[in-house]
Formats: sequence, C-alpha cells, structure tokens
Amino acid sequence: MTLELHATPEEVMRAVGAFEEFAQGQTVPEKFIHQLTLALEECASNIVKHALQGDAQRTFKANFGRTENEVFIELRDNGPAFDPTVHIDRRREDDAEAHGGWGIELVRRFMDELSYRRVGEENVLRLVKRLDTGGKI
Amino acid sequence: MPLEIQILRKVGGQHAGAVTVKLTGSLDTATAPELERQLAPVLGGDAKDIVFDLAQLKFISSAGLRVFSSARKTLKERNGQASFVHMQPQIQEVFEIIKALPGVAIFKDEAEMDRYLAARQHTYDEKK
Repeated sequence: MTLELHATPEEVMRAVGAFEEFAQGQTVPEKFIHQLTLALEECASNIVKHALQGDAQRTFKANFGRTENEVFIELRDNGPAFDPTVHIDRRREDDAEAHGGWGIELVRRFMDELSYRRVGEENVLRLVKRLDTGGKI
Repeated sequence: MPLEIQILRKVGGQHAGAVTVKLTGSLDTATAPELERQLAPVLGGDAKDIVFDLAQLKFISSAGLRVFSSARKTLKERNGQASFVHMQPQIQEVFEIIKALPGVAIFKDEAEMDRYLAARQHTYDEKK
C-alpha cells in the first residue's frame, strides 16, 4: 500500500490511521501495531518538520507491506540529504535538539531494523518489525 | 484519533487549587499544539500542581512528551509538580523508554495520588 502525503501533521496522522487499518487487516498483533504506528508518526513528523520544512505544498510517500515474517514501512521524501538515524545526544533535557532525539529513540527501541539510504534525490527510510519471536517485544 | 481535553480546577476541600487535566484519545504531532495552547493560561496562572489523568489516552508520541516536559519545567520553577495517573500500559512504556520527565510523580490510582498530595501539602504548611 502506498500513500502520497502532504507535509502537514494532519497528513502524518492520516498515514498513521491508514497504517493501523492495513496492519489490522493483516492480523498483526495489537502490541506491534502500536509500536509501528508510533514509529511511523515519529519518522513522518521528522520528515514534515525538517526535510520538508512544514511546507504543505510538498509531499512525501509512505509505503507499507507485510511478508510472512515481518511488517515494513518505507518513507520517501525529496528533502535535502539527511540521515535521521544518526545519534542525537538527548541527555540535554532542556535543549530542543535533544528533544528531537526522543522520537528516534522510540523508533530504535521498537523497530527491529531502521535503515536510511539516499537514492538519487530521495531520502529513503525503512522501518521493519519482525513478527516471529525473534523480534523486539 | 482526535484529542479531547478537560481541565478541572478543584475549588475548596482537600487540594483546593489543584488542576486536573483529563486527556482522551491521541496526543500526537497534530493534537499536541492544542494541548499546549489550552495549558498556557493554566501555566501562566498560579497553579502549582497539575495532575494529568491519562486513563483514556490511547496514544502518545514525543510531541506529547514535549508538552508534558515543558509543563513540568514551568511547575518546577515555582516548586510545583506535574503528576500522572491511570496510565495505560503502552503509555507507561513510552515514559519508561524516554525517561524524559525526571522527578514527575506517576500514580497507579487516585488514592495513591491523594496520599502523595496530602503529604506535599503538609510539607508546604510546615514551611510557612
């Protein structure tokens, strides 16, 4: 399933709602659905805020899929090259930049794989949750 | 999922002046600004303690945690406290992972919270 979304918080939550419906239809366990929707919200919000500067005219894509053993979410945007998986020091509680690290921290904790690559003019972020018992619970 | 916000101020009796904020739904990138907006007059006033009742909160992201963190900081500056009660397991898990809110009180139920607030009130009264 692929969605094209405008760079707004409301569109981020539209993607979250669509993913939730998709995952329920694929009988993904509820706990994993929650973790995946949170990871999607965090990553898509970062795209809207940072990559696309909150410009509602700009768009990004969300692609969801399921194989036998995993569920994946892939996000593509044409913002400047930016790897959100680079560690941010979140120990500085009062620093707005440190707060930005909270989202990625949640994604890292809940996802089994988080990978970034630059393909042509696109940032491509892939989140994977394994459905077998080898995945993070 | 939208966010419903109820702000209740206790008038009279034990813990008079305490503010309870009940949240229902989803506290996320789209709804966090509205919570921030509605908290502004509360934080700008004389409230020292705010209790966030999260019994009906189904989803929270880092956007929501930032609003709580900001509220906590403001209250701490006036020797106040942000407290959280009735967290659903998935919400508690997010708090535990981020540990973004040091020093906040998290209660499993109102009885525990009332005992804590009574003890704090006793401490205020002794300092006067």
